[in-house]
Formats: sequence, structure tokens, C-alpha cells
Amino acid sequence: MTDVPVSRIRNFSIIAHIDHGKSTLADRLLQITGTVSNREMTAQFLDNMDIERERGITIKLQAARMEYTAKDGEMYILNLIDTPGHVDFTYEVSRSLAACEGALLVVDASQGVEAQTLANVYLALENDLEIIPVLNKIDLPGAEPERVIEEIEEMIGLDCTDAIRASAKEGIGILDILESIVQKVPPPKDTVSEPLQALIFDSYYDAYRGVIVYFRVMSGSVRQGDKIRFMVSGKEFEIDELGVLKPNQVRVSELHAGEVGYIAASIRAVQDARVGDTITQVSRPAAQPLAGYQEATPMVFCGLYPTDSDQFEELREALDKLSLNDAALHFEPESSGALGFGFRCGFLGLLHMEVVQERLEREYDLDLVTTAPSVVYRVTKTDGEVLEVQNPADLPSAQVREMIEEPYVRVEAITPQEYVGTLMELCQGRRGVFVDMRYLTPNRTSLVYEVPLAEVITDFFDQLKSRSRGYASMEYKLIGYRPGNLVRLDILLNGEPVDSLSCITHADKAHEIGRLLTGKLKELIPRQQFQVPIQAAIGAKVVARENIAPLRKNVLAKCYGGDITRKKKLLEKQKKGKKRMKNVGSVEVPQEAFMAVLKLES
Amino acid sequence: MDKASLAIIPADIPPTKSATLPQISTEQPSILPTAAYLHIPFCQTHCRYCDFAVTIGTEDLIEKYVQYLLQEIAFTPTELQGLETVYFGGGTPSLLSSNQLERLIDALSKRFGISANAEISLEANPGTFDRAKLQAYQRAGINRLSLGVQAFQDHLLRLCGRSHGVAEVYASVKIIQELGFDNFNLDLIFGLPEQSLADWEASLQAVLAIAPTHVSLYDLIIEENTPFGRLYQTDRPPLPTDEETVEMYLKTIEVLGNAGYEHYEIANFARPGYQCKHNRVYWKNQPYYGLGVGATGYVYKQRVERPRNLYEYFTWVETGQFTVTESVTSQEELTDTLLLGLRLTEGIMLESLDKRFGKSLVAQMLHVLQPSIDSGYMQVIHEKMQLIVPQGFLFSNEVFALLT
Repeated sequence: MTDVPVSRIRNFSIIAHIDHGKSTLADRLLQITGTVSNREMTAQFLDNMDIERERGITIKLQAARMEYTAKDGEMYILNLIDTPGHVDFTYEVSRSLAACEGALLVVDASQGVEAQTLANVYLALENDLEIIPVLNKIDLPGAEPERVIEEIEEMIGLDCTDAIRASAKEGIGILDILESIVQKVPPPKDTVSEPLQALIFDSYYDAYRGVIVYFRVMSGSVRQGDKIRFMVSGKEFEIDELGVLKPNQVRVSELHAGEVGYIAASIRAVQDARVGDTITQVSRPAAQPLAGYQEATPMVFCGLYPTDSDQFEELREALDKLSLNDAALHFEPESSGALGFGFRCGFLGLLHMEVVQERLEREYDLDLVTTAPSVVYRVTKTDGEVLEVQNPADLPSAQVREMIEEPYVRVEAITPQEYVGTLMELCQGRRGVFVDMRYLTPNRTSLVYEVPLAEVITDFFDQLKSRSRGYASMEYKLIGYRPGNLVRLDILLNGEPVDSLSCITHADKAHEIGRLLTGKLKELIPRQQFQVPIQAAIGAKVVARENIAPLRKNVLAKCYGGDITRKKKLLEKQKKGKKRMKNVGSVEVPQEAFMAVLKLES
Repeated sequence: MDKASLAIIPADIPPTKSATLPQISTEQPSILPTAAYLHIPFCQTHCRYCDFAVTIGTEDLIEKYVQYLLQEIAFTPTELQGLETVYFGGGTPSLLSSNQLERLIDALSKRFGISANAEISLEANPGTFDRAKLQAYQRAGINRLSLGVQAFQDHLLRLCGRSHGVAEVYASVKIIQELGFDNFNLDLIFGLPEQSLADWEASLQAVLAIAPTHVSLYDLIIEENTPFGRLYQTDRPPLPTDEETVEMYLKTIEVLGNAGYEHYEIANFARPGYQCKHNRVYWKNQPYYGLGVGATGYVYKQRVERPRNLYEYFTWVETGQFTVTESVTSQEELTDTLLLGLRLTEGIMLESLDKRFGKSLVAQMLHVLQPSIDSGYMQVIHEKMQLIVPQGFLFSNEVFALLT
């Protein structure tokens, strides 16, 4: 491995909206610098999880070290540190940006700047990064580089005189980007002689070597065999393996200030090596950890239950394994009268929740019932005690409640002018408080609202997308707790309350939600052998009711010779369908019913 | 078609002598079927509820198909055992010319033999035949007709995409009766979109006025890959509710019962002595040949299936090989016997089951079926197991689900 002076290292990341071509550009950089041969190139090298590739998003970040001989004849080390591209992972983004001195701002030349991009640019500016604007997809017939340049200048206040026009797909402008990184991104500070401080920007669990930690050396140097300490967790380890990412792991004996690499040190779980923590040497520790560390706080909770109660232990094992690799995933056992034994799980946001569910079902082959997501409510009781309630079923009764507070987020949406009206309507319908509206460019507007998080984690994003025909983008951040006139809405099936169907809602909306929810459940729950009443109640007061009429028949009218095989298949299908349902009392309830509250259309 | 699953039975060598054949019980003289189903996949229009593989046939295509069907007959195993029942189903078999039908019946007769008093049925759609054609069919040997009426309301027929109206139904019935077909069936469907109970009662009265020997009445099934499947959802308007279709079914049982029809199978009614012999072969789980595209047969205890696509069927025939697959196990055979036999009002004699499958297997099955006895769907009395009409029929899938 070539040892390169700090002055010839450049650390950068790529900021881009989903679909604006980040992964394609990263691939192209790896190819042109010869880091990855054309033969080795699988499309989109950096996103290596199936789910990421399917959804076209990056969840877990990765890094790549490239060697590039610039026009000045010198060889430079360029470390690309990839960032996750979703609002749920803002903290992870901020840590990977903190490991860089510069960033490429990639904007689709036919689309323009989106809310998520804007949020990440602000994060980059907070970290004093040099930002290089790149207009991608310049080859497309719809490209309007002039308009988009104007937009970037107005929205971000960034000088775009030297904006690079590129097409990652066609390989246009790639060398300009590399030259620009060398010339514009400042080298790291030469602090090789100081005590070791290395910033963890990612970690993942490897079944053979324990946790693999990705880091950037901010000062000092680190060697194979060093005894190290994670300054926040306080845990100490001996380095088994030290290396760089090209992007495959390649072992080295030493890394110094400015460099990016990985270690393996028989670390048992990612919780011991959290993103944002600082690595130092036990023999010569740094005085203090790097700034900016935060605990992961789950914002969204839901119950996960195995459809087949025999799978409870399997679910526990799967969650254990996933959490080895996901420090943000919280879970603890809970039991529900309706669903039996399961886990209450905490997630950073909705996407995080979906990804975990999908991995449990796909990688661990579990059949799950998921309850509707909930936020954490802060409840003050009449005796002054303050509780945090993650599960609506745990809400103390109205008699002993003094106040309920709920988390609010600041939502910023960027939208073409014509959808402003419908999006304001959406925010208002979700109890949003208007904060600001700005005309960014003649046809793009930024809309800021403060909205209860509980209203955002239902289908807010889907609504935003469908109301704006996919053109609006949004991001949100937590701004604190506010009191609200909230009540718990209970659902009774066949006279029995079903704890997993309870939800906390604003008192003014409770009747309507009760009506819609009972109606939706009537649609989703199939007829049973007997009549099933569905009631929505606040305390003892029933606010809405529906009846599922009893099953009147289950018959296949026509069955002749050839049909017997087909008929048996049909019966098996019916049986399988029943197996996927949860027995709540004597009522068979399909999985979708537990998420029904997310699919109410008024 | 998977080559590995094919074995060759040369048409000119009696199949029982071939080494590739499965073991045949020596107790019975012949286990080859005495029932044959022939599938005619052509229709004038595609009904909007139907998910059968049917084709709008041109004359040339129908003729080509008949020739392939003749070839298939020629390599189907036989012992000249003599057919007791033949059934031309579809599709619309009445689109065959009289000459084509004659050639098919002739080929069956030569290959398998046809008993003197065999039941030879043909499905026909109103408006697809005239007096001359039907007379020629009659001369060719057809002695039972099944007319696809479906409804006696023009607006419902249009909604179903049927190629005929009510007037064509009466015209066809007139021809059938004038030619002296004493054995004929009417097919009807209830639970159609926009159909009211009054519509259905009117249809039942129309049936009584025509006085056929046999009536089949089907509760509409919404199949996924059909126009109905895309338009309608079971139990949601404009389809009648389950309450209404159950009402229609109960009304059917009442009206036809009072008029002297035997309710002998879930969806079938007949004058005494006029039950469909061919269909009883299926419900008794006895062997039958299934000839033609998409047809399934039950031969040598094997459920064999022809390709469902017409051109794949042609290719299959060109190989000239009778398909051999795995035989059903004794357990499967018992399940099938129950699934099919319980559809008949007469039920199943326990003694016959014990003989065929052994007492312990049968006792095991009865144990599995106990919940349906508890629910009042089934009874075992006089050494016979049978579904209780009408609840047992209405919930027959609940009973059958216990068996799968």
C-alpha cells in the first residue's frame, strides 16, 4: 500500500437526491480510477444490500479508496465516503460528512434541487465542507442546466460558475470531477503527531470477525495490534485487522491522519462501536472525544408478532442478529391479549421500520403481524408522575391523566407551484401549523409546517407524493414535545377489546377515525361462521360500530373431472390464507387489519 | 412437457404388455376407463366470467383440431373395453360440423367400442345450430344435449357477453324438443351481477315451463383472470350479496324439488332416471379418458393433463405419445373419493370405502371429518356418510378443507 502524505489525500462524499444518479457516478469514479475493473463491476457497487438495490436507495453507507494521478503528475488518494440517502438516517449522514473535507452536490439537470438534498447540503455547510456542484444527466433531452444552476444559486447561495456538467451514465465530465476534487477539496490537517482520534462513520457485523468499524483518522495514527478505546462506550479492544476499502477490504499495517479505513477487533455488537464514537489509543489517549456524538433515539414504535406463535423464539434470534448490525434498532418483549407474545420495536423512522420488517420476513423467513406504528407520548399523571408511552395500549386511563404531550416535527416540502394548495390542505388536515412559505424560483416553492410526528408516520409521505404527482419532496426533523388534546381510541371485536388495534388520536378527529377504522376493518376481516360486531370506543363510550355478517356459504358450485386437482389447490390456498391470519379470540383477523389505521381515506 | 415424465405406449401394442406401464391390479378384468371426455375449445364469443382456454375458431382451425383429436384417440391406450359414456364439452362443441362429429364418434367406436345403450352427451349453445345440424348429430349418436342458457333475461345475457339472447334459447329448445331428444339439460348461473332474486325466480319458472330432464344451476365464481374478475368483487355490488345468493340457492332447491326433480348433486337436479351418467363417473372417482386441449383424464390411477395452449397441444400430439405421470397414492385416492363423492346427495357407503381403502384408513378419515359432523354439515347413518342438505352443501368447502 502506497504511503501518501496528508497533503495528497482528499476525502469527499456525494450529496444527491434519490434517482439523481449518485450510485452511477460512484461506480464511474471507481472504474475510471481503475479501483474496480470493468469485469468486477456489478451495477451500483456501493449499495450492496438487496433491499437497497431494489429500492434504489442507500441505507448503510460504505467507503472507497481510489488512487488518481492528476494533471499535475502527482498521485492522490481520494476517499469517497458514501452517505445514506434517507431522512431517517440524518445523524449517520452528518457523521460521514464530518469525516470529509468536501462534497459533490449532484443534481439531476432535468429535475432540480429536492428537499432531501437541501437538508444534506445544510449539513455539509455546517461541517465546513467545500461543495462542488455537478449537473448530472446532462445528456438527457429534458436537461435544463441553466435553470437548475439558477435554482442552486438561489436556493443554496452557492456559486455555480464552475459547475460541472456531467453524465455518469455516458461517462461525460468524470475527469473534470476528479480534477476538481483534487484542486478544490482541501487536504486534511496534518496532525499525524498528535494522539489518535478516529471518527467512526459506519460499522457492520460480520459473523466471522465481529464488528467491522469504518473510520476516518482525524489526528494521530493507528497500527495493527494497537490497543484501542472507544471513548464514548469506554470499551477497549486490540486491533486484529487494519485495512482500507478499495472498496473491498485490503489489509495495511498503519493508517495516519486524513486516511480512511476499517478495523476488526473481535467486537461483539455494533452497540459497542457506535457511529460518531471516537477511537483512541489506550497507551496515548486523546484528551477528549470528537464532538457531535449522539445516541440513536427511536422515533417510531410498533409491535412485531409472529403469525405462528411457535416462531417467537425465532423472531427473538432474528432481532438479536439484526441488532448486532443495527445500533438504532431497539426491541423488548411485550405481550398482547390479541396477538400473544411479540416485541415492541423502536425505529429511527418509517423506512427503517419497513427495512427491518422486510429483512425479518425475507432473510429469516418469518411471517409477521405488524401493528400500526406509534410515536412516544409523554404522559403526565395527576400524581405528577411522567411516563413515556410507546404503545397506545399502555396509556393510563383518562381519570389519572393530567396531560399528554406528543412529538412535533418541522416538515419542509419543496414543490412545484401548482401543488402548493393541495399540500397546504394536506398539512392542515394533519394538524399542521403553518410556519413559512418561500418562492425559491419562479416555479418552485418551499413550504414549512410544524406537524405532529404521529400524523407524519401514517401515509403523509405517500399523500405528498400522490398529491404532487411525485414532484414534491420533503424532509423533517424533530423539534420537541407539545401538549395535545389526545384520546385513546379502542377497537372491540365481538365485544372484546383488541389491544393491538388501539390508537392514540386527537379528540376532534376521534369520531371520524373511529367511523373510518370500523368501516375499513369490516372490509378487511372476512366473514366468520358467526356475526362479528366491530366497535370503536373512547373509554366506555362507543363512537362507531359496524357488523361483519356471518359467513353464509363456502362452496364450489362447479366441480367435474378435471377440476379435482384445481379444486384441491383452491382448498389449500384457502387453508394457507387462514394460517396467515391471527386468531383474536374466536375471530380470524388478517395481517393487514392491524395496519388498517394507516389506510383510512376520508 | 417434461420429457422425463413421458413414456411411450405404442398405439398398436396392447398397453398392458408394455414394460413401462404401472402395475395393474389383477382383481379387475380391465382398469381402463369406460367414460370419455372430449374437449372442444372453440366459442363464438368469450363469456366475461369464463377462464377456460377457449378460442374464437375459424373453420380451418376447427378442422385442424378435429384431425389432431383423431390422432390423439388413435394413440390412447385401449382394450376395446367399450365406452358407457361419451361427453363432448367445451367451449362450444355445437360449433362442430355434423361431419366432424361423425368422424369423432366413429373413431371412438373403432378405438374403444361404444356400448349400445351408452350415454353420448354434447354441450350446445343457443343459436349455434339449426334443425338439420342437430338431426345429423342425433343420427351420429348424440342422445343427450346440454344447452347453455345461463339466464332468461336479455340484459343479464348481454352483461355476461353471451352470444345469444332469450329468443335464441326458446328457438333452440323448440328444435331439441321437436327432434325428440327426451334427455336434455339446461345450464343456468345465479349470482350474476345485477341479478335480483326476482330475476332468478323467473328463470326457475321458465325452466319448469320447458320441463327438461336435467338442470345444472351454478353459483357464479368470480375468476381472477377474467373481465368479471377485474370488474367485480365477491359479495360487493353489483354482485348480489352472499345472503342473496344463498337465498337463490334455497329457492332453487324448493322450486325444483316441488316440481319433482331430484337434487342429486350440489349443483345438479334430474328427473328420476335422468342423472348424468358421465358426470357420475367423476363424482364416483372412477377412471375416464380426457381427450383434447387442456383436458384432464384419470387413467391407470394417473391424473394426466393435456397442454392448455392449442399450439402446444398440437406439438404434443405430433410426438404421438400418451403421457404417463405418477399414480395417485392410496391416501390421495381416498381423499379424492371423499371430495367428489360427498358432492352427491346419496353420499358414500362406508362398506365400499372399507373395501377399497381398508378399515383403518377410513376410520382415520372419519376422525378427521368429525368437526363437520359436530357443525351439522355431515352425518353418518345407515353405514353411509353424506352431507346434510342444504347446510352441508353450502359449507361443503369447510368439510373438504378438513381433508386437504
